[in-house]
Amino acid sequence: MSIAKHPAGERRLYMGNEAIARGALEAGVSVAAGYPGTPSSEIIETLAKAAKDADIYVEWSTNEKVAMEVAAAASFAGLRSLCIMKQNGVNVASDFLLHLAGSGTRGGMVLVPCDDPGALSSVNEGESRHFAKMVEVPLLEPADFQEAKDLTKWAFTLSEELRSLVFVRSVTRLSHASGTVVPGEIPAPRRDAKFTYNGFILDPMEGPVMSAPVTFKHGQQQEKLKRAEEIFEDSPFNTYAGPDNPELLVIATSACWLYAREALRMLNAEGKAGLLKLATTWPLPRKLVKKHLAAAGKVLVLEEVLPFTEENVKVLAQEAADEIGHKPILGKRDGHVPMTGELNPDLAADAVAKALGAQVPEVDPDYKTKAGQYAFFGAPNRDLTFCPGCPHRASFWSIHNTLAADGREGFVCGDIGCYSMAVLPSGFSTLKTLHSMGSGTGLASGFGKLGPFGLNQPVMSVCGDSTFFHAALPALVNAVHHQSDITMAVLDNSGTGMTGFQSHPGLPTDALGNEVPAIDIEAVCRSLGAEVRVTDPFDLEKTQQTLHELLETKKGVKVLILRQACALSPQRKGKKDFDMEVDAALCRGEDCGCNRLCTRIFRCPGLVWDATAGRARIDEVICAGCGVCASICPAGAIIKKPVSAQAA
Amino acid sequence: MQILGPTQLYEDVIAKGLCTGCGACVGLCPYFVTHRAKTSMLFPCDREQGRCFAFCPRVELDLDEVSRFVHGAPYSGEPLGTHRQVLLAQAKGLSGSFQAGGTVSALLCHALQTGAAGAAVVTGQKDGLPDPRVATTAEEVLSASGSKYGAAPVLATVNKAIASGTRDLAVAATPCQAAALAQMGMNPLGREDFMAPASLVIGLFCTWAIDARSLAALAAEHLSGKAATRMDLPPPPSEILVLETGGRRVEVPLSEVRKLVPAGCLCCPDMTAEFADVSVGVVEGEPGWNTLIVRTQKGADLVESAIAAGKLETREPEAEAAAHLSRAAAGKRRRAFARAREQGLLNTAEGRASLRVDEQVAEKILTEES
Repeated sequence: MSIAKHPAGERRLYMGNEAIARGALEAGVSVAAGYPGTPSSEIIETLAKAAKDADIYVEWSTNEKVAMEVAAAASFAGLRSLCIMKQNGVNVASDFLLHLAGSGTRGGMVLVPCDDPGALSSVNEGESRHFAKMVEVPLLEPADFQEAKDLTKWAFTLSEELRSLVFVRSVTRLSHASGTVVPGEIPAPRRDAKFTYNGFILDPMEGPVMSAPVTFKHGQQQEKLKRAEEIFEDSPFNTYAGPDNPELLVIATSACWLYAREALRMLNAEGKAGLLKLATTWPLPRKLVKKHLAAAGKVLVLEEVLPFTEENVKVLAQEAADEIGHKPILGKRDGHVPMTGELNPDLAADAVAKALGAQVPEVDPDYKTKAGQYAFFGAPNRDLTFCPGCPHRASFWSIHNTLAADGREGFVCGDIGCYSMAVLPSGFSTLKTLHSMGSGTGLASGFGKLGPFGLNQPVMSVCGDSTFFHAALPALVNAVHHQSDITMAVLDNSGTGMTGFQSHPGLPTDALGNEVPAIDIEAVCRSLGAEVRVTDPFDLEKTQQTLHELLETKKGVKVLILRQACALSPQRKGKKDFDMEVDAALCRGEDCGCNRLCTRIFRCPGLVWDATAGRARIDEVICAGCGVCASICPAGAIIKKPVSAQAA
Repeated sequence: MQILGPTQLYEDVIAKGLCTGCGACVGLCPYFVTHRAKTSMLFPCDREQGRCFAFCPRVELDLDEVSRFVHGAPYSGEPLGTHRQVLLAQAKGLSGSFQAGGTVSALLCHALQTGAAGAAVVTGQKDGLPDPRVATTAEEVLSASGSKYGAAPVLATVNKAIASGTRDLAVAATPCQAAALAQMGMNPLGREDFMAPASLVIGLFCTWAIDARSLAALAAEHLSGKAATRMDLPPPPSEILVLETGGRRVEVPLSEVRKLVPAGCLCCPDMTAEFADVSVGVVEGEPGWNTLIVRTQKGADLVESAIAAGKLETREPEAEAAAHLSRAAAGKRRRAFARAREQGLLNTAEGRASLRVDEQVAEKILTEES
């Protein structure tokens, strides 16, 4: 049963992202668009599954900027629309975002950026909240699961009242944890979309939609923010619990509110400290915050990641200094709270205890010792690594070995995907730069023009198939146009692998399961004028030979498409091509001539070093049967038997 | 003989730029590979001892031990190395595009025909790069005739041939390759498949080699993108490298070429392949003839048999020509010893050396009059 079918009033266990999706459905959303990125992806996935029941349109767009444009079009046609992305996706969308803030919206439009404090699934710890302040639109931050649903729903109402985009910011621990939610009613689908544009140029509902005349529209935007502040003063989503005149006022936002409640209870400080939960974090409801500041002795702000609310409260406190007097405001800037990483109840308790001059209750030392011992002796030491049967391991084996054999100190610029792990030994430390989506090819394009300055190393980039469309394409166009001397490897594993196999423009099926035209990466590259080759990365010899040829003999932009489906993709998962076996008589083990190449260097989790026997063996349960290790064994000791042939 | 592992080999030879790309470490394991005549290490290997280190002619090469193994006596310090005879020689009844007298081709063809060798490893050319290959017929030997001057991974081909079960190899080897082959023959790690890697080593005189990839690029630059089909390094004082392709001939000043010589060649003391069975080179002022140095019993037997079969013609060299060759060989050795000493690579007291030899012999070489 899709989430659209859950009856109103029945308590449910929802993941934060499901609560946000349900909130959007209850608001009568018609269009939802996004680009996959942890921790945001399940919002679109949930809505895509509910699309038929709810009669809405949902898509995985090519990138975040396009997603926001797709969603904005629905708003301009009077519908309600939702746009989702991870924190750094907002950077990608930010150019359109700035102009959308200026032009204003019509139907309610909500942007849900999901931030990843601690960078659990990111290569950055970016903050999306500053974008709301920077482009001058309202920002809401739900603190628990019910609120994730309710605040999302209300954000559409607010958006329509202000005719402005509204941010609802989530974080990993809200998006990916689950809690109880009571769903509400879902309205009937809309069928009255129309884009009206013939009105007066300054008419926000009837005229053309644009951010010009700029200073006029900018002024209107600031009026909208003032109106938002007034609305926020009475918002039921901002709550206070605690004494009338607390010694310490804790201001908490988002998931930190839960940590703060636990910390106050742990310290038995509920009599001394009050807890103000702020859900409307930009613009701040000044009167409300001022009232609480005036009543408190000192203030502690708990939030993730940067001191966003802390700094806004400090500005407010300065402006109101004559009325409320001097209030020490503690938080990240003075070191009470860490500036990076996730918070948790222990860190919150430390900060509250420090602010109150109290002691955090000691953990039983015996428990501490035992926990340490179990963690050290009991937990296996595991690297971040590619899955068994992952085509990326084979691709990087070939890329690494080809560049190393080539001997000219060639290097690879990487970007974002599972293949980012190739900065680590699991990918043979092949990537030497790692930044944003598509930036590997952009950097390569630049490196490839440094020949006249003495750079004579071969330059490569890698990108995935989804990343190719997202942001690598403009970089490739740039490299071709400027005759940069680079080799780009497209690791085409037929899906947006890292985030859970979402569709992308290279695939014949969209988010809703419809058959759609697939854009052919090979044909696109050829049409741009690049020299294109396609190999199966599991064929190590052919891949390395092809790459050597491209590196050695061709000038300009070369593209090597390494095509092999992800081991976890629906078409491959659980299906072995080969039964693998190690012939112990042939295995050289640690002897000269091998020295455990398969388990020391190649390190597929399906290969196990049997220290007692001094031989490698296959873990049949873990092995995905891709057969690649048979090609790397210098002794020919790893044997592959086709599964079908065996059955016959 | 001090035998360490691949980590030390990488540090001492590849990282220091001393590798001549001979290929002695290639084809034994998955870690060392050769590509376009250059040796690279793909991944670290933490073994404490390896054949790679044991065979390499640029690290811990103990000239006395190797000489005892090949010649039954410690390193003599004689300019032309331990030898029985110095002759002039030319092939008889054999036609090919020889550099000089075709002696190497004649001896290899004869060895194959008489069964003295089961196969020969020779160096042809492919895509402008030296291309070592296994030859089993006279035609295959002749297709590889002519000097290449580019450093070639001959021993990678030897290792590969051995791994595939080929035995009784005759190898046309430069001095560094001949030294490596001797170390392989000593079989310090007792590997069964390395008991007799080469049954016959035909040494090639070598002043220095040129980094093969750079040489190919140099040739392409001077020959409008084409690969050279023939190269010649006429003896001093000519100071030029001659490149030829399709009837075109260009002369490149040696000053341009010397920049492309691997540092490993500059501390090589051996011009005449002293650890080969016989050594062959060109002779000044005698076009169509080679100098032939007969060193071992095996070498003497082969030469004698080739003469008897009418495949080789020999005569005594002029006294002045032999003396000139000695002076050139002594000069290369003295410069190499001086450089090795200066860089701490000769008889290094603490740490690893590139070369080891009885210190009195070393002193004698270093103080020789030029």
